[in-house]
Amino acid sequence: MKPLKPILPLYALLVLGLPLAGLGYALLGSVVVVGPLAEGFTGRYWRALGHEPGLGYAALYSLWIAVASVGLSVVLALGLVLRAQPTLRRAPLPGLLYVPLVLPALVVAFYLFQLLSRTGWLSRISFQLGLTSSLEAFPELVQDGAGLGIILAHVLLIFPFLTLLFQAIYQESRLAELDQLTSTLGASAGQFRRRVAAPLLLRRAAPTVLLSFIATLGAYDIPLLLGRPYPQMLSVFIATKLQRFDLRELPAAYLAGFLVASGLLVLILVLLRLVNRSRVETG
Amino acid sequence: MLTVSHLSKQFNGQPVLRDISLTLAQGEVLAVLGRSGCGKTTLLKILAGIETADAGTLELHGQDLLPAPPNERQMVYLYQEPLLFPHLSVFENVAFGLRIRKVKEAEIKQQVTELLAELELSEHARKSPHQLSGGQRQRVSFGRALIIRPRLLLLDEPFGNLDAQTRAAMQELFGRVSRQHHITSIFVTHDSREALTVGSRLGYLERGSLTSFASVADFVADPRTNIAAELSFWENIRQTANPTSTPA
Repeated sequence: MKPLKPILPLYALLVLGLPLAGLGYALLGSVVVVGPLAEGFTGRYWRALGHEPGLGYAALYSLWIAVASVGLSVVLALGLVLRAQPTLRRAPLPGLLYVPLVLPALVVAFYLFQLLSRTGWLSRISFQLGLTSSLEAFPELVQDGAGLGIILAHVLLIFPFLTLLFQAIYQESRLAELDQLTSTLGASAGQFRRRVAAPLLLRRAAPTVLLSFIATLGAYDIPLLLGRPYPQMLSVFIATKLQRFDLRELPAAYLAGFLVASGLLVLILVLLRLVNRSRVETG
Repeated sequence: MLTVSHLSKQFNGQPVLRDISLTLAQGEVLAVLGRSGCGKTTLLKILAGIETADAGTLELHGQDLLPAPPNERQMVYLYQEPLLFPHLSVFENVAFGLRIRKVKEAEIKQQVTELLAELELSEHARKSPHQLSGGQRQRVSFGRALIIRPRLLLLDEPFGNLDAQTRAAMQELFGRVSRQHHITSIFVTHDSREALTVGSRLGYLERGSLTSFASVADFVADPRTNIAAELSFWENIRQTANPTSTPA
């Protein structure tokens, strides 16, 4: 085992040390102590936060997308696991649930763009069938203001994963036997689902659900293809600022990156607490 | 009075229960001895309504129970494992049956507190199931069943996973609480000693057929229960270990 010893510090440096160093660099960049424009400490970009609503809008928009995507996925996955056990146990559904998991996010985004955009397949079929008078009359399902296309793409990716996770917990927690037991205690099927199955599944899956939420909050490729220039999700907003030719935008981009990364770090700390609690409960 | 008449069940053409008939008066504990695969669990599950019978009738106080779903029978089925709700505290596990019946909060608090004290679990009320020992978990499971005052308690080798000492303590507790609450129950086990300890009536289930015994002597004398052979074994051990002593 001795040769493995140096690997652990190196791995810690890679996953913890360097990101934290990056976070520190972004903080210093936001007060213009480092970076191409380094001119000494100034708090003007922090003070300007109050007058620049872009970051706030991007944060709210990202929050909406993450809450809607993960929320919808949880509801769909829970519904399927709690109400369609026989279907979930026989072919072809279990196999079909694995299909979206092997698709890269960008492929799913591209597929939905081809399917749902105004020049996409559904719009053309709708026009050919006379359901819409022109391609422009087709409802805006991608690159729309509410982010429907982005949400749909995330749901397509998250919902099968959560269904498989809930199903594994269902079996591991012996919920089928708990169902029988609660029925002899007098509980109806609905009471079993509400008071036993759903809380138990959500509690055990909470770390993974939060992880999905963090991943959706920081998603880049799906909102890049299926989103609008405004409002933008956080990752697209920051990347756009960082890639601008105007170097004076850089401190604001560092500031945005620092705030977002700090927020995600807090969520990861919550996640670690949930993982520890779950480990204690399962012994 | 529970009356089971000519109950039969097959799985894939294989008979699991054959023409089972029995009666059980209020407050009696029928201990059913049987080896693994003899049909004990299937019998209990049919009585609980979790499994359906192919033939036969099941009546409690003259009411036909077969059409009733399990949640309307008020017959609690206890597994070998306690199967507590892991997301609920000990108090809430015991209170479960009252909460789903929408009993008032004050009434729930009073009943659960009293029962926890009776089961010597008061100090564990706020704990989670994973913080309890095996015997404590089984007591919580027992309390969760008792709180709804079941018309019939069905116990499927409930103490099978406990160590000998805890098992003996649980048998004593079960006997005490059963007498106190006048609970009618069917207790299946593969341990003849346990059957004799907890049962006020005794039966033997073999390949789906139930034999009811009129007395403890008949139960002990039946070679299938293996009690006579075991007594002889221990007598031989005693004589080998202490050849000069004579039986009292």
